[in-house]
Amino acid sequence: MTAGARVEAVGLLTGWGEGTAVLPPDARAAAAGRAVIPLERPALDGDRFRRATRECLLGVVAVEAMLRDAGIDREAIRGAGTAVVFVTAAAYGASNAEWLAGQAGTLHFPYTAPSVLPGEVAIEFGLRGPYVILIGGPTATVDALWQAGRLVAGGQCERALVLAVETFGECEALWRRARWTLPGPMVESAGCALLGRGDTLPAYRAAAAPTPLERVVEARAGRTLACAPLVALAFAREGGGRPALVSGTWRGRTATIELAIAGRAARV
Amino acid sequence: MAIVAGGVATPIGLDLDAFWSGLLAGADGLSTIERFPTADLRVGRGGEIKKLPPVALGIRSRAAALLVAAAADLGGRARLDAAPERIAVVAGTALGGVEELEHALAGDGGARRALDALYDSPAHALAAWLGARGPVLTVSSACASGAIALGLGADLLREGAADLVVAGGYDILCRFVMRGFDALRSLARDRVRPFDRRRTGLLLGEAAGLVLLARERDARGPRLGRLLGHGSASDASHIAAPDAQGRGLEAAIRAALAAGDVDVADLDFVSAHGTGTVLNDRIETAVLRRVLGARAGAVPVNSIKGALGHTMGAAATLEAIMCLLAARDGWIPPTVGYEEPDPACDLDYVAGVCRAVRPRRMLSTSLGFGGCNAALVLEGAA
Repeated sequence: MTAGARVEAVGLLTGWGEGTAVLPPDARAAAAGRAVIPLERPALDGDRFRRATRECLLGVVAVEAMLRDAGIDREAIRGAGTAVVFVTAAAYGASNAEWLAGQAGTLHFPYTAPSVLPGEVAIEFGLRGPYVILIGGPTATVDALWQAGRLVAGGQCERALVLAVETFGECEALWRRARWTLPGPMVESAGCALLGRGDTLPAYRAAAAPTPLERVVEARAGRTLACAPLVALAFAREGGGRPALVSGTWRGRTATIELAIAGRAARV
Repeated sequence: MAIVAGGVATPIGLDLDAFWSGLLAGADGLSTIERFPTADLRVGRGGEIKKLPPVALGIRSRAAALLVAAAADLGGRARLDAAPERIAVVAGTALGGVEELEHALAGDGGARRALDALYDSPAHALAAWLGARGPVLTVSSACASGAIALGLGADLLREGAADLVVAGGYDILCRFVMRGFDALRSLARDRVRPFDRRRTGLLLGEAAGLVLLARERDARGPRLGRLLGHGSASDASHIAAPDAQGRGLEAAIRAALAAGDVDVADLDFVSAHGTGTVLNDRIETAVLRRVLGARAGAVPVNSIKGALGHTMGAAATLEAIMCLLAARDGWIPPTVGYEEPDPACDLDYVAGVCRAVRPRRMLSTSLGFGGCNAALVLEGAA
């Protein structure tokens, strides 16, 4: 088999609910004037999570959703064979704002680093493989899928998680001042794609035109920023195993990647 | 991948020549912080750049200003001889534009300031200043960012996604991060003493370091050296402390060596992360001892954080540049602050004065919050 990579599962949570079936046909209409569609702090038990931020917990539940989609348990991804490539445009805003406000305790400071979110996920699932963290919107997630595909296809790991989390609520007033939030609504989201070995190399283009799927994702899910390409992959996975061309546009650049998708029957 | 040239802005020098001569001379770039109040902190010292070069004046974001200062230095040493859409920028940072975020949250400014608050804004500001219209990536793997940025830059070239890549790292010294490390009691009260028995912690610094990467066949004229391999790994053990056994760091080093097809027996020098904290230096020493094996006592090791402070996102890039300059000139800079050996840190640290050694193949290591580990394997120009 030629060394390649393919998407084997996708977990997705948005302010609309879990998966793609819950996405409204028109996010703007469904938002009914709300600027942010929030995601609740997941109710995860355990002393280990007592200091974890909402964003960290969203990362954990996104991986759990991916595991459900893959039909595997967490032991299947534990160890040095699993890479993590994390992306966000804005999920550090809440923890930074809390630190700046001077209300947070000493041990909150490490949580201001974007790397701590995937760090908590890595601890929770025992992921010790290659580890890359990118900051940016949808384009950065396409870059992350490319990097994850390289790591898998190049044999540096057996599988890779591409994880994205976006939260906006705590800094809503700030983000609404920026043009990149328009058109809304801004939809809090967390997604995780599992890439495993396949027989085709992902085809990455660092500069390209947006795909029709990108517009569909924005119309149905709203502004999910770094999570948007993972929403597209979730749609593609529902579509049943055909290769998917996914694009992401951010700050004037569009990147695309074509990935093989392991299909499954569409849910009834 | 060829590393054609480097450019820097640091507390010991605002260009590559001043940086290098400062390192060789054992300069101390740590001083009393003047740019923001520190009276309420236990420690008010750091590697602060007191005066930005003229090219960076007038740029509102200090992070972007540091990057532009380093890029101007780089531009004086190498031409960006490619179509703008084929020039990529990959910048590593731990803090991004956090100072802009602070201003923006305080209600200062409008849409522009809100946009500047995003951690990827300084990299885009650099790309705009350079006229680069290719991919712009921001890596935020904490204090390992500057290493992973170089690795991703090399990957972009291998992929054919760009013909030239300006890659590196930066971070500023600001109250946000000083208050954090001060609260964690990670800061040294006197000086930074990497691997020294009396070490008590780190001091922070601000800097930017950039290199110009090109495919070997495209690199014309003189060059600094080559990036042979890079690797990263997660600790998956603690969000703010290194893994007690250093498993992630060891995995990153072995991945970088494998990627570069370099045998550990061929390593001539190690630029260590060497923060000066009790834990980091002991764990890093143990990892290097395992990796280097029988040669552990024979391979020179240094840390330049005693001279600059811990420059976070910039650190790994500056250390990579230092390695290549050591190979060029045949001198390894000393570990400023290292004076008294620690039985738990028993490698061949370059101490006191610079050492007359011309390394050919070198290893640079980095660690950061969130269990980030990265390693670079470098080769000096022949």
